Amino acid sequence: MLPKFLYHAPETIHEALELLNKYGREAKLLAGGTDLVVDLRERKTRPKAVIDIKRIKELNVLKYEPGRGLVIGATVTYHQILEYEPVRKKYPVLWEAVKTVADEILRMRATLVGNICTASPAADTAPALLVYDAVVETASKNGGRKIPIENFFTGVKKTVLEEGEMVVSVTLPEPPADAKGTYLKAMRVWSEDLALVGVAALVADGGKDVRLAYASVAPTPVRARKAEKVFREDGDIREKIEKAVELAVASVSPISDVRASKEYRLHLVKTFTRNALNRLLGVEAVVVA
Amino acid sequence: MLRSIKVVLNGVERTVDVEDHWTLLWLLREKLKLKGTKHGCDRGDCGICTVLVNNTPVKSCLVLAPEVNGAEILTIEGLAKEGSLAPIQKSFIEHSALQCGICTAAFVLTGHWLLQQGDGVDRKRVAEAIDGILCRCTGYRQIIEAIVDAARKK
Ligand SMILES: Cc1cc2nc3c(=O)[nH]c(=O)nc-3n(C[C@H](O)[C@H](O)[C@H](O)COP(=O)(O)OP(=O)(O)OC[C@H]3O[C@@H](n4cnc5c(N)ncnc54)[C@H](O)[C@@H]3O)c2cc1C
Ligand code: FES
Ligand code: FES
Repeated sequence: MLPKFLYHAPETIHEALELLNKYGREAKLLAGGTDLVVDLRERKTRPKAVIDIKRIKELNVLKYEPGRGLVIGATVTYHQILEYEPVRKKYPVLWEAVKTVADEILRMRATLVGNICTASPAADTAPALLVYDAVVETASKNGGRKIPIENFFTGVKKTVLEEGEMVVSVTLPEPPADAKGTYLKAMRVWSEDLALVGVAALVADGGKDVRLAYASVAPTPVRARKAEKVFREDGDIREKIEKAVELAVASVSPISDVRASKEYRLHLVKTFTRNALNRLLGVEAVVVA
Repeated sequence: MLRSIKVVLNGVERTVDVEDHWTLLWLLREKLKLKGTKHGCDRGDCGICTVLVNNTPVKSCLVLAPEVNGAEILTIEGLAKEGSLAPIQKSFIEHSALQCGICTAAFVLTGHWLLQQGDGVDRKRVAEAIDGILCRCTGYRQIIEAIVDAARKK
């Protein structure tokens, strides 16, 4: 049984904001419910009101326009994202990351915006959003904000969202023309597990524009900017990759938990970063026995 | 809060009273006494509570009862028509795709859904679709075969 609350199902953003305003911190928004209902059951949250946003049609936007980028509305499910051809073509890092989330039945229900609003360090979509420089668009009675994803997460399960504020959509700008990328996720089992480590890598501008971001290795998903800078300079590509791997390790701070030790996570950061960069930069991996 | 919702449950239009904080799983099992839908982990992991809502598989332990207002719901009790089993049910019997049976309703309903998705229901597609449902007994082979075979005979 869940603790008691009042259920609301507004049909416009305006109505939702009125409700958010009325209940303040005592309200919780409901999208797919795959995080919220579990939290309610475990009494991790005790809201007075649960506001279901799935009946708000304007939140189900999923649209790519060349030059402008990709807009993903707050109620867009993972399944919708995987089925939308421009995502696979233009945003392969996101497509691959979404494909690793949970299982097909949950992906028909859960949303990307719900994923970032939960703000788990293990949020699988966050590294992809980080390498594409996504921007989170919000609404509130005081007007909306555009928040770069890098500033969105503030701690374990914490975001910059204020009382009365909701996310309307996430926008991913047009990626660089020659961008390639990948998302590598280490799990204990093949499905339905949170990442032990998640690594998003994007390479563009002939190998000079390299972007790296991580899940599950710090209190928030993180971008490894120092490691990325290495590729702006000239030099031997293998040396640059090794330098970037070291700087990437220095920019994360994993903990030991039930799923993996800190040492193992650091090891995964190294090997996954190296493998992703070798592949994307066309360097043949040296096989070490 | 107690409220009335309208649903089409197993083909029958019904008005049911629900509390806001009930889950769909609770509503089905405890209020409507449809015990074919099983209660497992109650947190989205095991998938044995899966039913079809608007012809899409969902884990009913993660859905609030008031959310299904206006929806069509199919549970295992609604699959047989006029006393004769649906093709997917027959296929599960032919392939001995169950042992203890606690996961069976979820797999059968997901299989039923897959059969309506058109062609290409091969082993790979089935394995992907049932990824979120756990079976502790059969080892999945018979389950996958039952679904693939039913698709082939369609
Ligand atoms: C079995 C299982 C496996 C899972 N596997 C993974 C996995 O592999 N990787 C992963 O990253 N996650 C995983 N998850 C977690 C979860 O499924 C995802 O985080 C999902 O994306 C959450 O989306 P939702 O729509 O269900 O969110 P909800 O549960 O509806 O909402 C999540 C949170 O965000 C808030 N919220 C929702 N929408 C808004 C909005 N528009 N504005 C402000 N706040 C909002 C809610 O109040 C709530 O606190 C798993 C969960 C389960 C149950
Ligand atoms: S009881 Fe719903 S997924 Fe386990
Ligand atoms: S038959 Fe026993 S769990 Fe599947």
